[in-house]
Amino acid sequence: MPSSISPSKARKYEIHGTHEGALPPGLRKTASDRPGQAQPVPTRDIPTQPWAKIGAVVFVLVALLLSLWEYEARTWIGLHAGDIDDSPQSWAEQRRLADSAPVAIVGDSRILFDTDLDRFQQLTGIRPIQTAIVGTNARALLASYANDPGFHGLLIVGLADLSYFRPEGVGLGEGYLKAYDKNDKPAQLSGLWIDRWLQRHLAFMDGDYRLSKWAIRFDRGLRPGTDSPYEDVWKLSETVDNRQYYMWDKIETDPFLRTHARHAWNLFKGPPLPPAIARQVVANSAEAVRRIRARGGDVIFIRPPSAPELRKVEDGRLPRAKGWDLLIAGTHAKGIHFDDLPNAQGLVIPEWSHLSRKCATVFTDAYVRRLTQLTPRLHLRADAPPPLTPADCVPRTVAAVPIAHRA
Amino acid sequence: MIFNSLTFIVFFAIVLALHNMPFSWHQKKINLLIASYLFYAAWNPPFVALLWISTVVDWWAAQWMVRAKRERTRRLWMLTSVVVNLGMLGYFKYGGFLMSNFVEIAGSLGILYHPPNWDIVLPVGISFYTFATLSYTLDVYLRRSAPAGSFLNYALFVTFFPHLVAGPIMRPTELVPQFETPRRASTNQLFFGLALLTLGMFQKVVLADGFLAPVVESVYDAHGKIPGMLDSWVATLAFAGQIFCDFAGYSTSAIGVALCLGFAMPDNFRFPYGAVGFSDFWRRWHITLSSWLRDYLYIPLGGNRHGPARTYAALMGTMLLGGLWHGANWTFVVWGGLHGLYLSAERWLRARFKGFTPGRLTLLGLALLTFLLVNVTWVFFRAKTFAGAGTVLTGMSGLAAKPEPLIAAGPMIFALAIVGGLFGTHVAMRNTTLEAVLQRTPALIIGGVWTLMAFAVLVEQGQGNAFIYFAF
Repeated sequence: MPSSISPSKARKYEIHGTHEGALPPGLRKTASDRPGQAQPVPTRDIPTQPWAKIGAVVFVLVALLLSLWEYEARTWIGLHAGDIDDSPQSWAEQRRLADSAPVAIVGDSRILFDTDLDRFQQLTGIRPIQTAIVGTNARALLASYANDPGFHGLLIVGLADLSYFRPEGVGLGEGYLKAYDKNDKPAQLSGLWIDRWLQRHLAFMDGDYRLSKWAIRFDRGLRPGTDSPYEDVWKLSETVDNRQYYMWDKIETDPFLRTHARHAWNLFKGPPLPPAIARQVVANSAEAVRRIRARGGDVIFIRPPSAPELRKVEDGRLPRAKGWDLLIAGTHAKGIHFDDLPNAQGLVIPEWSHLSRKCATVFTDAYVRRLTQLTPRLHLRADAPPPLTPADCVPRTVAAVPIAHRA
Repeated sequence: MIFNSLTFIVFFAIVLALHNMPFSWHQKKINLLIASYLFYAAWNPPFVALLWISTVVDWWAAQWMVRAKRERTRRLWMLTSVVVNLGMLGYFKYGGFLMSNFVEIAGSLGILYHPPNWDIVLPVGISFYTFATLSYTLDVYLRRSAPAGSFLNYALFVTFFPHLVAGPIMRPTELVPQFETPRRASTNQLFFGLALLTLGMFQKVVLADGFLAPVVESVYDAHGKIPGMLDSWVATLAFAGQIFCDFAGYSTSAIGVALCLGFAMPDNFRFPYGAVGFSDFWRRWHITLSSWLRDYLYIPLGGNRHGPARTYAALMGTMLLGGLWHGANWTFVVWGGLHGLYLSAERWLRARFKGFTPGRLTLLGLALLTFLLVNVTWVFFRAKTFAGAGTVLTGMSGLAAKPEPLIAAGPMIFALAIVGGLFGTHVAMRNTTLEAVLQRTPALIIGGVWTLMAFAVLVEQGQGNAFIYFAF
């Protein structure tokens, strides 16, 4: 390709290698100035500045700003050190463990928030591997297990009806699934370990409060017809080891954040789902269940609770009889719907879609006890703690309010 | 590993510490070589074997080339190097592409062929280190340079981690001499190198990944939604900013990292969006690739020495292959082809209006026109399919039927501010260097800007997104 040829005078004074002091413009040549020849050692000129002093001041200032930001994150925003962001690498780590695990969980954010892995283990002696992903259609995850010849255990599929029966699209978990094979490489694993170590000590390292996410939240719908960043789902959860999610305490205590979170579930609104889609979903699910069973595994579906306000929207688009009941009948799999669990009634669902931290333990207790009745793969331990009831998690002031308004 | 990862911070701290310990120069070079292999193996350890093959084959090819007495033997060794390097590149990068094209052509002839699923994993950076090692044997063959005097120096040239996976594409004559004498950064070099590393990370983590990528994705990955004129232009402008900040960010970081170790690496970008015309653009954008293609493809194809027709053919051929270098997809070929057409048109216009000397305002207008036309080519670079490119181009032309608004106002305002700032900066600095500007800037301002950039990088955190050019 054509290129300018450097003037011979400039070439005469050309300097190669590093050079203290900035060169006049035009004297620092690049390969584009020297066509068809061996390129000499490049020139790097160092501007005459007290770089060490500047660097030391920058280091101190950045440390100060970061300390201030960490303080603000803890006091003003309400973030906690030890809240480890979930990530595709973290998910891949658990997914690899699932191959040899007796019980694994897939699904969307509801089963993720609403399952207390410690309680599960206290009751059965088995700690399930949590591989559900927020904002993700559980069908895609079920299919990935069906396609994995290494999995022979019990797969618990937690689902929110409108997510599971949506016509297409994996959702947020698409990237997790696509990058699965890449996330066991040394670079990814070491990054995960260092990141986790840092997050145990620093609160500000929270993906929901990154600069670019935060900065655009001033836009409260300035452009009609677009998804305003303000209306997006903000931080709802905290995560600890083994991808144990639970509700961020600020959602339970801060009325503004709770109202905002509820508002975000407007995305569930829409017309009723056509019956043909439900039939197709059931057929696909039945095939996935058949393949897992053929290898000696099994599948059980679980429908965690949603608040009456949201349930109304969900039932309006896909009533239980046309979704959940069809799925259980069509896959010949066992299922646990929260409607059928007495101890899962009236639980606290602060933002209408996910249980409060305490009530997640109560719901886990209820569904695990039912699981042990449905499958021989799980047994209630002789030293299992006594059953929990809604009274163990619902504050007394709330308990006095009728269930329909309890959210 | 990638520069914008926590693993790299730990890795670099160890390498820097080792490089400043009182080891012999030979030992320090071995340390750098081992570190570079670890840097590469962190992605996919088995692919280090490809680096070894490339290193050993090209080392011996050059050795035998020099010892050969007959021209034919020299050519044979040169061809061996070319075949081995391009063979690996062809298999890993273009194997699937060639097969899918073969299947389509066979299908159009009525022959149904179902090839086995190859599942070829692309070794990261293979296009970069293949071109770097090829330049070694080609320079020796063209008698532009002598072979490296030591295998260690040569192996370190191939694998030196700052340039290994995404350039700048270095020539042996640029780097091997630097390994011949002990190098250690002075205090000024070290801190200026760290400042460049911060600038590169700011471009990548904050601007490219944080603010620009989501805007681009909302249109280019809109899953069937039709963008209108505003959305199509904003997304494409945002991509122009994203790809610059991503790739120039990597190059700036690489230069900074090398400088911290006492090595000089060449400029890869020189304010390209301030270019006036397309030959100017290619002297400023990905300089080490464009000069590589010029020296080893355009000039051997005849360059401008055999009349206009041959020149235009060489130009188009170079740019089409340059497009294909970026990815195994016909969209990249079209991207290269468009640049070839632009360069040809410009060459024709320059010959026709030889005496034309533009004023300042005209120059600004021409820079803006160049920038807008470059943006049209980015559509083919970013869109994964021709249908996708067609949708965005239709939107840009204002002819989209029933378009939907896709980009919210907040992200749009940030994207336009960043891209506007980039364009203005490039135009303002087209005849100078960053170093020259820093030389006359008060230290207080440099410190303040450096602090803000470092703080923004840390608060943005980043998600460890790979650099776009890693896929090439």
